[in-house]
Amino acid sequence: MVILSLFLSFYLIPVLTSAQNCTSTLVGSIKDANTGISMRYTNILIKEFQKGATSDSSGCFQINDLCEGEITLIVYQLGYLTDTFSVFIPQDTLVDFYLKDLTYNMNEVLVSKDKAPTSAQPSASLSEEEILQNADKNLSNLLENIVGVSTLKNGNGISKPVVHGLSGNRLIVLNNGVVQSGQQWGNDHSPEIDPLVANQISVIKGAAALEYQGSSLGGFILVEPNNINKSRKLNGRTNYYFESNGFGHGLNLQLEMNHPLLAWKITGTLKKSGDRHSPSYFLRNTGNQEANIAIQLEKSFSDKWFTKLYFSSFNTEIGILRGSHIGNLTDLRSALVQEVPFFTKPYFSYAIEAPFQRVGHHLLKLNSRYYINSNQYIDFTYAGQLNNRKEFDVRRGNASEKPALALRQWTNAIEGKYFNAFDNGLTIKTGIQGRFIDNTNSPETGVLPLIPDYFAYEVGAFVHLTKRYKKIFLDFGGRYDFMHQAVAAISTYLPREIVRYNNNFHNFSALIGLNYQALKTLKIALNVGYATRNPSINELYSNGLHQGVSGIEEGDVGLKIEQALKTTLGIDWNFKKTFFIEALFYHQWINNYIYLNPQEEIRLTIRGAFPVYKYQQSLAQIYGLDLSATYNITKKLSIKAQYAYLRGDDLGNQIPLVYMPANNLFAKVSYVFPKVGSFSNLALELHNKYVFRQNNLLSSQDFTPVPNAYNLLGLSCSIERNIKNVHLKIYARIDNLLNTKYRDYLNRQRYFADALGINGTIGLSLTF
Amino acid sequence: MQKNTILFIGLLIFTILFSACEKTPVVPNDEEVITTLQYSLSPVGGGTPVLLSFQDLDGDGGNAPVITNGTLEINKTYTGTIVLLNETVNPVDSISTEVAEEDADHQLFFESTVSGLSVQYTDMDGDGNPLGLSSTLTTTTAGAGTLKITLRHEPNKSATGVNTGDISNAGGETDIEVSFDIDVQ
Repeated sequence: MVILSLFLSFYLIPVLTSAQNCTSTLVGSIKDANTGISMRYTNILIKEFQKGATSDSSGCFQINDLCEGEITLIVYQLGYLTDTFSVFIPQDTLVDFYLKDLTYNMNEVLVSKDKAPTSAQPSASLSEEEILQNADKNLSNLLENIVGVSTLKNGNGISKPVVHGLSGNRLIVLNNGVVQSGQQWGNDHSPEIDPLVANQISVIKGAAALEYQGSSLGGFILVEPNNINKSRKLNGRTNYYFESNGFGHGLNLQLEMNHPLLAWKITGTLKKSGDRHSPSYFLRNTGNQEANIAIQLEKSFSDKWFTKLYFSSFNTEIGILRGSHIGNLTDLRSALVQEVPFFTKPYFSYAIEAPFQRVGHHLLKLNSRYYINSNQYIDFTYAGQLNNRKEFDVRRGNASEKPALALRQWTNAIEGKYFNAFDNGLTIKTGIQGRFIDNTNSPETGVLPLIPDYFAYEVGAFVHLTKRYKKIFLDFGGRYDFMHQAVAAISTYLPREIVRYNNNFHNFSALIGLNYQALKTLKIALNVGYATRNPSINELYSNGLHQGVSGIEEGDVGLKIEQALKTTLGIDWNFKKTFFIEALFYHQWINNYIYLNPQEEIRLTIRGAFPVYKYQQSLAQIYGLDLSATYNITKKLSIKAQYAYLRGDDLGNQIPLVYMPANNLFAKVSYVFPKVGSFSNLALELHNKYVFRQNNLLSSQDFTPVPNAYNLLGLSCSIERNIKNVHLKIYARIDNLLNTKYRDYLNRQRYFADALGINGTIGLSLTF
Repeated sequence: MQKNTILFIGLLIFTILFSACEKTPVVPNDEEVITTLQYSLSPVGGGTPVLLSFQDLDGDGGNAPVITNGTLEINKTYTGTIVLLNETVNPVDSISTEVAEEDADHQLFFESTVSGLSVQYTDMDGDGNPLGLSSTLTTTTAGAGTLKITLRHEPNKSATGVNTGDISNAGGETDIEVSFDIDVQ
C-alpha cells in the first residue's frame, strides 16, 4: 500500500497537474554575479518535481511543458554558491539568474581552491554571515582579523583600515563599485559606510587598482551588496544585537522583492552605544550613534538591458574621549603620565558631547548595462556623493555648539565601460572615467580652516586584460589619470586674502599578474604593479595647528608625485585537502613617499610652544609576509593560525616609518555540532590574538614609549534553527575575555587611556 | 546607436559638471583666537607701573609674536590685572570678559622661577574658587627668571593644590601658555 501511494505521488501528481495547463516554456540564462559572464553547463533543477536542464555553451537554458503556478529552481555549479530562485509560470518566460562565486566567501575558500581564478591579485573576504555576526563593528574593525589588515584608530569609534601598511589616501574603499569620496587628511576620519548593507566585503591586497579612480597605491577594499534576489515573494532578514561594553544596541532590517514592474531592496540600520569601558574605568564621551538607509532598485528594460539605481545615506555621531582633548604640549605631557585620564567619571552615560564628530555621507548611483551578446557588454555609471563633516571641539562660550571644522564635499563621477570575453580565454575590460570634486569649508566655524577650499577635476582611462591558458592565468593592464586641482586658500598673513593655486598631475598605473597552478595541490601567484599618487590637498596646503596631534603641520606646495612599485608572491599549498597553507610575500618601494617630518624648530604661540612638522618626501620601503594555515582535523574540528609580519623603513633617512602596524599572531579553534535537539550547527570558536610590540621605531619618533605587546582572548558561538520558512540564528561573542589592560600602537587614544576591556555581544538574526 | 547615446549623455553631463566657476571661500571671523595677553602690574604705594605683554596678531605660524618683558622692584607689592584680547576682529573682542562670564570653567596659573616672587589670587568664581584675572604680585629679593602664565579651560578646581595655584593636578585644556623674562632689581 505504501509502495502504491509512493508510486501514485511520483507519477500521478505530475500527470494530474499537467492536466491543468502545462504547456509553458521557460527560457533563461545563468551568469556570474560578479563578472556578468555567462556560465555554460550549469545545472538547473526544479524543486517541485524531478525535472531540470543544463545551460548550453552560451549559458542559456530552456525548460518545456511547465505547469502554471510558482516553481522553485535550484541552480548549482561547482565553485559557486548553490542558489534557489522562485519563478511564476506563465508570467515568467524569460529569466536571468546570477550565481555568486565561492571565492567571495571566506568560509568556503577551501572549496574554491579547485576553481579557476578570476584575478591574480591576492585577496581575502568576509561573507554576509560573518558581517552579520559582527554587526556591532564598524567597517574597519570588521576587517582587522584578516591577515595583513590592521586598523588605525582614534578610540574605538573612529577607525580606518590599513592594508600592507598603507591607509587613508593610499588605499581606496569602493562602496558598491563607487570610489568612496570623503575627507582623507587625518587619522581621525573613518570611511562612512554601513557594512550591514553589504553581502560581502573583500580586501584586495594587490599591486595596482586598475579599474578605479582615486589614489590607491595597490590595495583596495570592496563593499558589495548583491543583486536583488530573484524571488517574487517579499523576503529579507533582520538582525538585533546587544553589547555589554557601552550598552550598545543595534537593529538592522533588510527587505527585498522582485516585483515584475520593479525589483527593490531596502536596508536600514540603527545603532547606539554609550561610554565604553576600559578594564578599570569608563572612557568618558566614547559613545556613538548611527542611522543608515540604503535603497536599491533594479529594472530590466529588455532581456539585454539592465538598470540599477542605488541610494545610500550614512549618518553618524561619534564621541571622542574627553580626556584626549588637549590644548598644547604641556597638556599632552601631563595627560601622558595620568594613570586614569582627566575628566573620567565613575558612571556610565549615553551622552555625546564635545569633542565629537557628526558626519553624513550620501550616495546616489545609477548603473545601466547593455549586453551586446552573451560575451560582451557596455556599462554606464553615474555616481554622486555628498559628504558632510562637522567636528565639534571643546570651546569657550557657547561655541562648543558650533563646529570647529565644517566641510562639505560634492563628488560627481561618470564612467563608461566595455567588456568582452573571447572564446580563446581572453577577456578585455576597458573604460573611461571622469570625476569632479568640490570641497568647501563652511564659514560658520569661526576658525580659520586647516584645509583650503578646492575643486578637483579628474579624467582617466584603463585597459584590463585577462588570459587563461592551460594552467596559467594572466592578468595585466594599465591606467592613466589626469588631475587638475584649483585651490583657493586663505592666507596665513594679515590682512587675510585668497591665495590661488592651480596644479596639474599625471598618474599612471600598470599591473602584470600571473597565476600558475603548478600542481593540483600547489598554486603560485606573482604580481608586479606600478602606481603613482599625486600629493593630496592637505599634504600641499595644510598650515596650522593640528590639535589632535599637538603639532603645527605645514604643507609643501612643491611636493612631487609618489611612485610605488609593489611585488607580491603568493603560494597556496594543501595536503590531502585537510591541511592548507597560504603564504603571501610582498615588497613595495615608494619613491617620494610623503610623510610628516618633525623639524628642529619649536614654534611659539600664545598657547605655548609647539613642534613643527613639515610634509617631506623620501624613499620608503615596506615589505612583509602574510601567513595562514588551516587544519581540518575532522569534519567538525578545525584550527587556523595566522601570522602577519611587516617592516617599513624610510631608506632616504635610514629611519623606520612611523604608524606601521606591529606584527601579530592570530589563532582559532572551531568545533561544530551538526545537530543539537531541534537546532543545527552549534558552532563554538575560541580565538586568540597576540600583537607584538612595534620595535621598529626610534624613541625620538614618538612622544611616549611604544606600547607593549598584548594578547586578547575571545570566544564565540552560534546556533541555527529553521522554523517553517524562517531561518533563525542566535550568536554570542566575548571579546577581551580576560579583561586585559592594553594599548595599541595604531590607536591615538593610547596616549591618554587604555583600550576596551571585556565586551560581550549577543545577537539574533532572522532570515525569511 | 545605444553606445553613441550613452557616450553623448556622458559627455553632456561631464561638460556641465566641469563648467563650474572659480571657488571663492568666505574668510571666517576668527573668533576663537586669542592674540594678546597683557598683565599690567601697578605698584602699591607708588613706583613705575609694569606691563608684561604677549601679542601674536596673525595667530599660529606667520610672524613671530611680540613679547614685552619687565623689570620689577625688590620688596614691592603690585596689583595685577590680566587682559585677554582677540585683535583680529574689529571691534577688538575682549576674551577676558568671556573668561569672567565663565569663571567656573577657567583658571589662570602663575609659575615663577624668580626666587621670592609670588602671586596671590584676589578674585573668585561663583563657587569661591580662584580665577586669576585679578591678583597681587609680591617681590622680595633681587633675581632673574621667568614668570609663566597659563589659562586652563575646564580645569578640575577641586583637585589637590589647584585652589592655591598649583597647576600640576588641574587637567583641562591650555588656552594660553606664555612666559615672560622677569628681572627683579
